Amino acid sequence: MDVPYQIALWGVRLAFLVVLYVFLIRAFGSLWRALRTEAELAARPALAYLVVQRTHAQGPRAGERLPLRTISSLGRDAGNDVVVNDEAASARHATVTLSDGAWWLEDQGSTNGTLLNGQRIVRRERLRDGDIVEIGRVGLRFEAAA
Amino acid sequence: MVARMRPAFRGTELGLIFWVALLVGLGFLAVIGAGASALQASSLIVPATFVAVAVALHLFLAVRGSRGDQLLLPLALGLTAIGLVMVERLAPPVLLLQQLTWTVVAAGAFVAATLIPRDLTVLARYKYSWALAGIALLASPLLPVIGRELNGARIWIGLGDLLNFQPAEAVKILLVIFFASYLEENRELLASAPARRLGSVVPPLAYLVPIVLMWVLAMGVMVLQKDLGATLIFFGIFLAMIYLATGRATYALTGVVLLLAGGSLAARVFAHVGARIDVWLAPFSDELRFGAGYQLVQGLFALGNGGLLGAGLGNGMPDRIPVVWSDFVFAAFTEEVGFIGAIGLLALYLVLVFRGMSIALRAPTPFLQLLAAGLSFGLAFQTLVIVGGNAKLIPLTGVTLPFLSYGGSSLVTNFVIIALLIRVSDITVRVRGG
Amino acid sequence: MIRPIAANIRSLTLVIALAFLATSMGVAYWSLVQAAELSADPFNPRLLATLRDRPRGAIVAADGTVLASSARSGSGYARKYADRSLAQAIGYASYTYGTSGVEAAYAESLIGRDAADPISQWRARYLGEQSPPASVRVAIVPAVQRAAAAALGDRRGAVIALDPRTGGILASVSQPGYDPNLIVDPATQDLAWQQVNGNVGKPLIDRARQGLYPPGSTFKLVTAAAALERGLDPKAKIRVDDPYQADPSWGSYTVKSPSQAHGDFDLSLAFQRSENIYFAKIGLQTGGARLAEYAARFGIGSVPRCELSAAKGQIATGGQLDRPILVADTSFGQGELLVSPLQMALVTATIARGGSLPVPHYATAVVDAAGNTLRLIEPGALAQAIKPETAATIGAAMVAAVEGPGAFAFGARIPGVRVAGKTGTAENASGLPHGWFVGFAPAESPVAVVAVLIENSPGGGEDAAPVGAAVLRSALGR
Repeated sequence: MDVPYQIALWGVRLAFLVVLYVFLIRAFGSLWRALRTEAELAARPALAYLVVQRTHAQGPRAGERLPLRTISSLGRDAGNDVVVNDEAASARHATVTLSDGAWWLEDQGSTNGTLLNGQRIVRRERLRDGDIVEIGRVGLRFEAAA
Repeated sequence: MVARMRPAFRGTELGLIFWVALLVGLGFLAVIGAGASALQASSLIVPATFVAVAVALHLFLAVRGSRGDQLLLPLALGLTAIGLVMVERLAPPVLLLQQLTWTVVAAGAFVAATLIPRDLTVLARYKYSWALAGIALLASPLLPVIGRELNGARIWIGLGDLLNFQPAEAVKILLVIFFASYLEENRELLASAPARRLGSVVPPLAYLVPIVLMWVLAMGVMVLQKDLGATLIFFGIFLAMIYLATGRATYALTGVVLLLAGGSLAARVFAHVGARIDVWLAPFSDELRFGAGYQLVQGLFALGNGGLLGAGLGNGMPDRIPVVWSDFVFAAFTEEVGFIGAIGLLALYLVLVFRGMSIALRAPTPFLQLLAAGLSFGLAFQTLVIVGGNAKLIPLTGVTLPFLSYGGSSLVTNFVIIALLIRVSDITVRVRGG
Repeated sequence: MIRPIAANIRSLTLVIALAFLATSMGVAYWSLVQAAELSADPFNPRLLATLRDRPRGAIVAADGTVLASSARSGSGYARKYADRSLAQAIGYASYTYGTSGVEAAYAESLIGRDAADPISQWRARYLGEQSPPASVRVAIVPAVQRAAAAALGDRRGAVIALDPRTGGILASVSQPGYDPNLIVDPATQDLAWQQVNGNVGKPLIDRARQGLYPPGSTFKLVTAAAALERGLDPKAKIRVDDPYQADPSWGSYTVKSPSQAHGDFDLSLAFQRSENIYFAKIGLQTGGARLAEYAARFGIGSVPRCELSAAKGQIATGGQLDRPILVADTSFGQGELLVSPLQMALVTATIARGGSLPVPHYATAVVDAAGNTLRLIEPGALAQAIKPETAATIGAAMVAAVEGPGAFAFGARIPGVRVAGKTGTAENASGLPHGWFVGFAPAESPVAVVAVLIENSPGGGEDAAPVGAAVLRSALGR
């Protein structure tokens, strides 16, 4: 093979390497920008909580932050993820679920019902930051990262 | 669901895919120009089809209105592009067309994993089903009709003549889903110190039982199938996820000690394990260099011929390494593109893993955090295991280099992993009120 | 309080990053640090890439005889070797089993990438261009080689002859041997390799440069040099009474005279009769440290500078001669000494050329396809090891050891030529003693040096001396 051809071939090889690095640097740049903006976001909690706002002597401590799982059950039974110790609460009272990119509150057929911002819910309701969930005498504020 | 139908502009992704297209074009040009493989129809069809698939996947996400990460898909495609160039360079032409077929199948799997299940969080609900599915899949090669034995290992299933699948690859994902959902529920119990729970009825270790059982089953099947690499990957994921959930390094350290003890025991009991250790310790010895150590020795020669800048794509001599396109792609790539190219490649993997981990950091529930981190760790660990094996840092195990190695099961699995990570980041953006 | 998962993710990511760093360093180790060593490895197929599709350069003897060549065969080229007795020195170039000997040492020259021609190396690596292969000229003289192989016969051992003026190796035989043609022929290679590699006689090992043996009395050259340079009068008579013990602390241990001698010996007579007690006494006078220093000056215990790999041997297991019995034993070549025939040939060549240690070499030149000399291989000599007068005195004593009345090395005599020589009979753990002979001729202006070793030979040095004489005679053209 003659020399000009080989030099051209090396041009292609070098270009391959250069493109590999340009791609890497651009990918890294994108990662870097994302990490910088996310660093601000990460300062706020990423996870969602129920914060105990109103309670009574036998109920959960006021101000306690209860972390939410993908599916969290609320109720009087000790097996629940969020235990609501109240005579008005059913054993399995309600669930809070992450689904379709949003948080939802759903009543599980409780005897005394679940209130969202003072309204009794009948079907699955979307939860937004600052919403108040009431089960019996216990009031919980939903807190989620924006 | 209405919001999802609104298309999203994914500019970063498209921009990066442009460079991927350039990369695959230049790679094929260099390999064919060097005369390392003959110019034929497939040399043009393969890069063209690949670019079409890449753009199609981008459009799919854009039309669907995914607001998930824009970096992961180009990175996966870039690595796949390098993989296709290396298969064209190293493997017989029939394997190139097969690899292209697998790339299309993997793209299909990516689309499927984006659409199904419609709501990703249902994965957290049916954890034991995933565990059972994983075990069934793992054991499936032992079944009579669909099980296949290739190269002495019965770790394949197949329906047609061409497309054989290694279910152990897919089991990785099911394992991560199961661990993530189980650990979301029980991590507090596992993490709490036994002393603090003295009065409690159930000691925390009892919560480890389902996980350990799952693991023992997986190990048992792997040992029966003599698949050392997959066993190591499973164990690594298992330990990493327990650490992620509990933050207790003692679990991980105990696991590493168990691994080393089990390894040295296995080296004595199983001839095929002992042989690998011997090769690792002294591949250049007179007894091994033409025998069991031949592949590793030839791989090291390839690394040595790489130098800083490489011998030039298509100009090296990695062909002497047995099954180079599967186990030793990294060594072959280093020979031809040099240390510079090898570092670039490892950096691409590292960016991919960092991206996956940063998605995990932001995810809104422990399950999604564990899922994203576990999948990212699996990719990182598998890369480290095979590159470390090529460079004689650890004993060689037959795992694939993610996206690069020839092999369909691995490619399909890894594209599903990318789809899941993009979905986790999509959920995160939406739940944060985007 | 349970650690948040985010914190665990950060820690794990850090661990992954560190593992990537370590892996990169592993890759750097092989691709950068070890690159040169790996590319020169005789088993690296890159050096053999063209073995089948292109002719490999020839290896040509001093008189023009082609020792190794590539001949057309079927679809490609096959390597042919002319002389089986050169199997270990010239070696083989196998597509499967790598290279050895001169084939390995000059592998790059033989495929047209000689180090003296960096442009051809560069073109081969980066442009894929193949320069026509160069041929390698070696100092081997086929007549001497034939004489050496015939004289040794099929006895296990080694013969090495070199030109003391240049260090060029004139002949090199190692027995048992093998047929390199079988190892390079794809049809026979696997069986041949299995047989040769698994053979208990270790035919792949070049006993001339890689075999290590106690030197026996041939080491007395070194003892004499150390003693003379410390002031020993070669004419001084030293009393010998068999058996000898320096003092009662030696217990039951004694040095024995090979001729059960009782009498006065000077250096010349001690060489003639190979008198162990004489050498034990002068060795003890000289002292262990000085004796070890002279052995080191003659190259014993260090790897000889040579294009082919050679064994380094040892002066003593611990490196030092620190006990009187060990000093006495070492003085007549026993103790813990181990040397290769090549090293003994170099010791002898140092005496022959007046005290400087030559650098041995197999090749003399690399010649390109057009016949131009790419480079000459003339490594010259190392620093003066001993004074010229010392060398002359020992040389004269070695002549007496061959020609004198009652000389042990009488078997090395050549009518009409003054031969200097020394036999040795080395006791060893493997059975019968090894027979040694080292010598050079003509004594006044040496043109050939020979070292002969015969393993487990009933007659010891007496068996080796005629082999040496045959080689010297051939080298002198008689």
